[in-house]
Amino acid sequence: MHAPALIACLLLTQLLVAERSVESPERRPHSQAEAREESREPRQQVQFDASRFDSLTATALRSILDRAAAQGLPTAPLINRALEGAARRASGPKILAVVRVHAAALAEAREALGDRSTSQELDAGATAIGAGIDPGVLAAIRETRGPGQAITPLVVMTDLVRRGVPSLTARDAVTSIAIMPTSDEALLGLQLTVAKNAQRGPGMALDALNRYVRLTVPGARPPSTPATLDRKPVRPPPS
Amino acid sequence: MTDRESSLPSATSNDDPALAAELAALYARTPAAEPAQIARCTSAVLSAALPAPGAARTIGGLRFRWWWGAAAAALLIAVVTRPWRPDQAQQEADSAFVAAAAALEPRGLTVEERNGSVTRFDLTLPASTKAVSLVGDFNGWDEAATPMVRRASDGAWSTRVPLPPGRHVYAFVVDGQRWLVDPLAPQVPDAGFGPTNALIVGGTP
Repeated sequence: MHAPALIACLLLTQLLVAERSVESPERRPHSQAEAREESREPRQQVQFDASRFDSLTATALRSILDRAAAQGLPTAPLINRALEGAARRASGPKILAVVRVHAAALAEAREALGDRSTSQELDAGATAIGAGIDPGVLAAIRETRGPGQAITPLVVMTDLVRRGVPSLTARDAVTSIAIMPTSDEALLGLQLTVAKNAQRGPGMALDALNRYVRLTVPGARPPSTPATLDRKPVRPPPS
Repeated sequence: MTDRESSLPSATSNDDPALAAELAALYARTPAAEPAQIARCTSAVLSAALPAPGAARTIGGLRFRWWWGAAAAALLIAVVTRPWRPDQAQQEADSAFVAAAAALEPRGLTVEERNGSVTRFDLTLPASTKAVSLVGDFNGWDEAATPMVRRASDGAWSTRVPLPPGRHVYAFVVDGQRWLVDPLAPQVPDAGFGPTNALIVGGTP
């Protein structure tokens, strides 16, 4: 056989193998714990389409997913990140960088939230860590909610911090509401109240948060001191 | 030929020579206006355009004074800025700022419909928008998978998606180019690609 034809065959074979092995971590459960978890959790429609990446990126993604699976981390959030990057037409290196950072955050979130956390909890926790929230805050939220029940507090906590509420203030507000029975709606109400007022500035967001906690939790102390008198309008965060 | 004849404005080579000569002679015979005549005409025009001196304009029988305007401007400034209540004035200015900013921003709404575990996504955008699609972890971030439809009643873009319970991440793609998030829904911070929204479909306590 001629050398160019041989090289072309080898490259084609490698490409096919790479694509199959990128898909494989999503098909099979990675550990008994995850298999148990996935059977308990609602199945998300995560379908990895390797054709949305170039072959180098797909190969590198396979390596990241394999490593995450070996650590017992869920791969669905990582595949979602990669697909989001491809949909936004991000470059291969950018996608890989984001997926690597998210994998590290997933490991950190599992350490903070515990081994019995669901993959959606870990994803929400990793996102919170990515937003700059200390893992200790995640552990505090875990103390208020059992396994599989901390998604809403984590999502609300991340949103509050993103809108300018100090991390510790947000933690106190979220944990004081989260310990109440059937408090997910109250937490989402807190998020909406702060979101509406945050457009008028961080001071307004804090005022709204204090008012909401005072009205929602009987006998609660406002989680922060009164906001400053600075009422200058500020631009809402870029969306 | 005199200077006045040579400056006849309409004399061109295409004109009838006899008619042009007659017009030139008529133009040469017309005497120039005297200064007194010009002055009379000017004063007549000005007196028609301007009020006669001494006949001041009145409002309800009162003669207008220049300081009325100054006093009205000062009163308006005092009412708007309220220097004796700076905090309240600032708050109201903030509200106006927010209202103006909100009018320019997209407004979204996510409604979980109880029957059939279907979630409805609404997004209000400027009328110039041509197409909007919903992307998220539930459709593989595929722009073509979930197009939104403009509702005739209020112009909002809307779609319904069956979602299993749990946390979902999503965003809107406008005109196939611009990614948008609902400014009031829970947001996932930008981790490198841009911000997205998070949604929790019932099922967690």
